[in-house]
Amino acid sequence: MASTDRFDAIVIGSGISGGWAAKELTEKGLRVLMLDRGHMVEHQQDYTYDGRPAYDVPARNMMPERLMESDYFIAKHGYVSPSNQAFHNNDRLNPYDYGEGSKFYWIRPAAVGGKSLIWGRWSFRWSPADFEANKREGVDGVWPIGYDDLAPWYSYVEKYIGVSGSRENLPYLPDSEFQPAMPMNVAEKWMKQRLETAFPGRKMINARLSNMTEDKPEQNRTKCQFRNQCGNGCSFGAYFSTQAVTLPAARATGRLTLRSDAMVTNLEYDAATKKVTGVRFIDAKTGQAEVVQAKLVFLNASTLGSVQILMNSRQPGGGRSHFDSSGTLGRYVMDHIFRVSVGGDIPGMEEFIEYGRRPGGIYVPRFRNIDSADDVGFKRGYGYQGSAFRAPAWPVGFGKSMKEGMRRYGGWQFQMGAFGECLPYKDNQVVLSPDKTDRFGIPLMRFNVTFRDNELRMMADAREQGEKMLRGAGLKNVGSKVREHVPGDAIHEMGGARMGDDPRASVLNKWSQAHDATNLFVTDGAQMASISCVNPSLTFMALTTRAVDHAVKSLKAGAA
Amino acid sequence: MDRRHALAGMAAMFGAQLFTPLARAAGLAPAMPVIDQGAPGIQVFTPPQRALMTALSERILPTTDTPGAIAAGVPAYIEKLLADWADVEDRDPIISGLAEIDARSRQDYTLAAIDATPAQQDALLTLAMNNDIPDGWEFFEAFRQMVIAGYYTSEIGMTQEREYLPVPGEYDGAFPYSQVNKVYSA
Repeated sequence: MASTDRFDAIVIGSGISGGWAAKELTEKGLRVLMLDRGHMVEHQQDYTYDGRPAYDVPARNMMPERLMESDYFIAKHGYVSPSNQAFHNNDRLNPYDYGEGSKFYWIRPAAVGGKSLIWGRWSFRWSPADFEANKREGVDGVWPIGYDDLAPWYSYVEKYIGVSGSRENLPYLPDSEFQPAMPMNVAEKWMKQRLETAFPGRKMINARLSNMTEDKPEQNRTKCQFRNQCGNGCSFGAYFSTQAVTLPAARATGRLTLRSDAMVTNLEYDAATKKVTGVRFIDAKTGQAEVVQAKLVFLNASTLGSVQILMNSRQPGGGRSHFDSSGTLGRYVMDHIFRVSVGGDIPGMEEFIEYGRRPGGIYVPRFRNIDSADDVGFKRGYGYQGSAFRAPAWPVGFGKSMKEGMRRYGGWQFQMGAFGECLPYKDNQVVLSPDKTDRFGIPLMRFNVTFRDNELRMMADAREQGEKMLRGAGLKNVGSKVREHVPGDAIHEMGGARMGDDPRASVLNKWSQAHDATNLFVTDGAQMASISCVNPSLTFMALTTRAVDHAVKSLKAGAA
Repeated sequence: MDRRHALAGMAAMFGAQLFTPLARAAGLAPAMPVIDQGAPGIQVFTPPQRALMTALSERILPTTDTPGAIAAGVPAYIEKLLADWADVEDRDPIISGLAEIDARSRQDYTLAAIDATPAQQDALLTLAMNNDIPDGWEFFEAFRQMVIAGYYTSEIGMTQEREYLPVPGEYDGAFPYSQVNKVYSA
């Protein structure tokens, strides 16, 4: 595979953004090699536990404690279970520098499809204010693009993947091109009405999800069947994944070559032409290294996977990365702050219950610092994701009376958790270990990322306001929980190779293109200069399609 | 330098040319661990302990109009869990709890607990639940949770005691509770 003319483009990573890059590049006529470090998972046939109830899954689908502690001690924070074990990184075989620096949960996938097989599927557009916030507040990291640059690409992506949700006309949470929303249940409707009445300006809306409510027969995809077993792999193709959506499209062109088990170590670079001249990877099955070449390289190895590859692309001897002339590579790493949950009991309506297992639930969009800075003691804001549900009763004791007691449902309960925006800090940084490498010889990632006062004050407010809203809406036994705040936990890590107009202060330009290499595009979460408070994947998809459009136009014009 | 590091050094030396079996030996292509589902790797219980654990599981979730813990395979699940899946120290409160219950049975009924009547076994479990025997609560709560977990994730638990909807196909957020015959399995 050393020949130089087999591929027009190489895509590194096959997850949410990599799959989109491959689809768009192949559909625009390019011959594409997509590399992924993970093992192959084919749609449907490799979803081993799709449709299987717990008694048909190893260990009743409860991750054995000993295996969790030996091999999945980080993945356990990312909802690993026996039915999706094959999709999750093995933390023993593929370590990062656990012992050094600050505590960070780097939750990674293990298979082709990347996190598209394990993601939460909540899909939101950013608002104009999200892109403007750094500039308006004087926060380091001015975005070189705005909402209007991305809006057509949001539409393009949404129409293709299918996003269910409700039109709300909220300026700070723009509507997508929606399929019908998954309905609220009777208790959520009751709560919405009371919450919005008691707190004017605050909203409780339907979840916005990549789980479809209408079929897409042209893509061989069927709408959600309300099994809520998305994490096992969905043979209906009801939610967006590489396997169900972008990989079939890319393959249909006949121009895609996919190599699984291909661990990219670094990019080769020519300083004279400012171009990436090769992508070096190791076949994880054989240990053989190969270098492949193409005119264009799309780096989509996940936020921190991409940053690691960029940092490891340097002169022998451990100098600065070829792509770090700005000195900002590996800096401004962010994650949503996540660990506040509030809950309570919704009185009444016990003559109703839910039929079917709905993925998703309700969303309370950000209401802090919307039009101007509120006097709340922190910047930015947070949103809540939650749902109302009835759970089986949990009687004490044992024997026949307990068994009978467990045949009833308890009343309606409500729970929601906050996702808060973390500011970009220059010294929230990842670096390569100076002395530890993995089994491929790649230096281990070391994390120095902590939440700061602004994030902690925001979460204190999210807790207080959450309780206040639930009480104000008439819930009983309202309470809240605050758990440890470990960055990475939200699995919304972003930044590290941010976009910007100034090549002295950013790694990528407004087209997600490296300032230091005209043929290199990084279109996953690494490019983000700030992180809003909404779930990010839809924005990565839109940015990817926009970057591919630009890259191919430039290529055809002879500029890239 | 141990063998694995020596081989990794060889991998660096030969670079791309390393022979596949050597690459495997160097740890470049380690197998992903699978969850062992075979027979328990060790005997957690002696035969009398196993018999008592089995009888007590049925007292926690007895046969009524639906099958109980034994029919649902709960004792085998618990032994596999403690042998190979759970932390090794999780065996301790179960083993010692069974011994304490047996000792109390010999004291109260001059019978091994396994030979006690179901009513007497219920009385012994109640003592444990109320922490009226040494470390009784620790045994009772751990054992009760294991029985419940094993039962409601078994085929009997999920499909006979409860109702499992493999493909609900639709969602109704205001479904009449009066039409629910059994609790739905997750």
